[in-house]
Amino acid sequence: MAKYSDKVDLYDDRGRVFASKVPLEALSPLQNPAIQKMVSYVKQCVSVNLEGVEKALATGAVGGKGCLINGRSLKVDLVKSAASIADEVKKNLQVSADDDTDVKVLKGGKHLLVKVPAKRLNAGVEYTTGATSTAAALCCAIVDQFKVNIWDADLVHASVWGRYPQTMEMLGGNVTSLLSVPQQNEGMGYALRNVPCAHIALITKKNAMNAAALSSILEQAAMFEMGDAIGDFERLHLMGLAYQGLNVNNLVYDIVKENSKQGTLGDVVISTVKRAIADGIIKPLAKAPSGYVNYTTDDLSKWNAYASAGLLAGTMVTCGAARSMQHTPSVFIYFNDLIERETSLPGVDFGRVEGTGVEMAFFSHSIYGGGNPAVFAGNHIVTRHSKGFTIPCVAAAVALDAGTTIYTPEKISGTTGEVLSEVPELREPLKYVNEAAVAIKGGV
Amino acid sequence: MATYKPQFYPGKSKVAANRKKYMDPSYKLEKLRTVSDDDIVRLMGHRVPGEAYKSVHPPLEEMGEPACPIRELVEPTPGAKAGDRIRYIQMTDSVYFTPLTPYMRAWTGHTRYRGVDIGVLSGRVPLEARERDLEKVAKELVETEIFDPARCGIRGATVHGHSLRLDENGMMFDALRRFQFDKKTGEVVYVKDQIGVPLDKPISVGKPIKEDELRKRTSEYRVEDVAFRTDKEVVSFIERLHMLRTEAGFDPNRVKGI
Repeated sequence: MAKYSDKVDLYDDRGRVFASKVPLEALSPLQNPAIQKMVSYVKQCVSVNLEGVEKALATGAVGGKGCLINGRSLKVDLVKSAASIADEVKKNLQVSADDDTDVKVLKGGKHLLVKVPAKRLNAGVEYTTGATSTAAALCCAIVDQFKVNIWDADLVHASVWGRYPQTMEMLGGNVTSLLSVPQQNEGMGYALRNVPCAHIALITKKNAMNAAALSSILEQAAMFEMGDAIGDFERLHLMGLAYQGLNVNNLVYDIVKENSKQGTLGDVVISTVKRAIADGIIKPLAKAPSGYVNYTTDDLSKWNAYASAGLLAGTMVTCGAARSMQHTPSVFIYFNDLIERETSLPGVDFGRVEGTGVEMAFFSHSIYGGGNPAVFAGNHIVTRHSKGFTIPCVAAAVALDAGTTIYTPEKISGTTGEVLSEVPELREPLKYVNEAAVAIKGGV
Repeated sequence: MATYKPQFYPGKSKVAANRKKYMDPSYKLEKLRTVSDDDIVRLMGHRVPGEAYKSVHPPLEEMGEPACPIRELVEPTPGAKAGDRIRYIQMTDSVYFTPLTPYMRAWTGHTRYRGVDIGVLSGRVPLEARERDLEKVAKELVETEIFDPARCGIRGATVHGHSLRLDENGMMFDALRRFQFDKKTGEVVYVKDQIGVPLDKPISVGKPIKEDELRKRTSEYRVEDVAFRTDKEVVSFIERLHMLRTEAGFDPNRVKGI
């Protein structure tokens, strides 16, 4: 039986209704099979840059920037032999003939999308199995197929694994996972938050609604893992995922549409408040001497969900109008300032998004270095404070940018985002989560 | 449904009323001076008047956009459509009864202008936008009642001065001496652009607003006039928000009807 009585209407990324009166918990990472599949794919799916391996072997440039081993090179036609390499990698990874191992050849052999079987991950406790077993399987495949001798095998290792194990991660390697190595996580349960927005925007092919959805799914699923979304706070995070990330009740889409031609950030705040009043989420509490009305609510988690949907809509309108990602921190601060002054109720995540915006503004506007919004993730030292409500907006903004940054999302993401966009569930999360929610709604 | 009218800001003082007024986009800001379009361009120093806009990417129509429902919905600004660079105007506002305090610049900017990126720092407020959009915004920022020639500075760099005493002419300190008080005309003239590069010819931004008039128009709480603590409604609003943020952080389910 459902813990919460909330029901929501599901919509697609274009504002079309998909299903009505679905229990909120059908969208929970603890229940929704599509979300669980996505989390699993994030661990299982690994990108291989075969062209990169070939180049590294040919030139001896292995182990990251500035590293070149003169006199060492190995000419192997990896790209041309991608199909047989893929077969060999698959053979190496497969646990049983009917398991879910998959290796896809992409871009004429330049890239491989590898899906490591779940059985391998289940046999261990660390999500790095995806990257480690793919890298090792690839090394074995190259050594076997091209009959690499014992004196050159080390070069194959370095071209695939990069500088590891001298470094914590595979620095300069050609096998990448969406997830960073555990040592690079800010704290317990941060793994799913350590995915830069550049990857998210490219995986979703710069569809801002899907970028926000994928980011919100990863962030809010992480909240369960971090120990945030539990007890008194579980519904708060479920509401945030549903209303901000998954466009339930078409709230995000409606507010964007209302302000799409002329709207300012201030107009988006007003649209959000109007909708909250109309839906009975907030109501007047008392009138001050100036005539200013304090608003109150009986459901603060739902108010937070409305405000966070408004925040995403405000980002889409502001960054969308300017076709630029750099406006995000300004939206975080002033959307919240304005909505607090409009209602006298706390802003998104009760002040944490606003605080995050202040820091992010410094670190994304060349004041104290940092980088553009595409490098930010929920695990970033500057943006980790809001519990899942900030990064979906950053991902949407990165998707809406028309090319205003020196370091583009493509440059930051390398081949990872592009390769992982081949996974339908990651590319179009709204569709798959909606379908799964409908499939299980009776049982929730 | 309760009748809802946007309220922008609490408070019963004249400062609060000014804040509300400036933040309300339906209120038309009073124009106090005229500065030509070319002079606005010269003051910012990003391009020479008449020069074509430089671009950071091709026009949207030429480059094509990814299939995204939000891009299809949200109309890009003229500058974004053309692929303009993102440029800025940066203001320093004196603590002596300036029309807009730094935070007010952000609040007012975001309620009045679309597609702007505003940041508030301790002594300066940059507003960034696509170049041709920025020029329109900058004109209104300089020509209307939210600008005072003596106590607002257009300063791209070396912004220091907002908290220093005014000089004998009531001018805010500027280490780069970008603006001067012309005793003959009683007007403030800029002899350097916002970065401090000398201008070919001075640009007048008009006469400083008189002290009593400034006190009427200011959005700044200040002990010599309307002290923040005297606006009980605003103080209680701030206290209420602080309480609600804290209580909600402890347990959102307990915050009901307060």
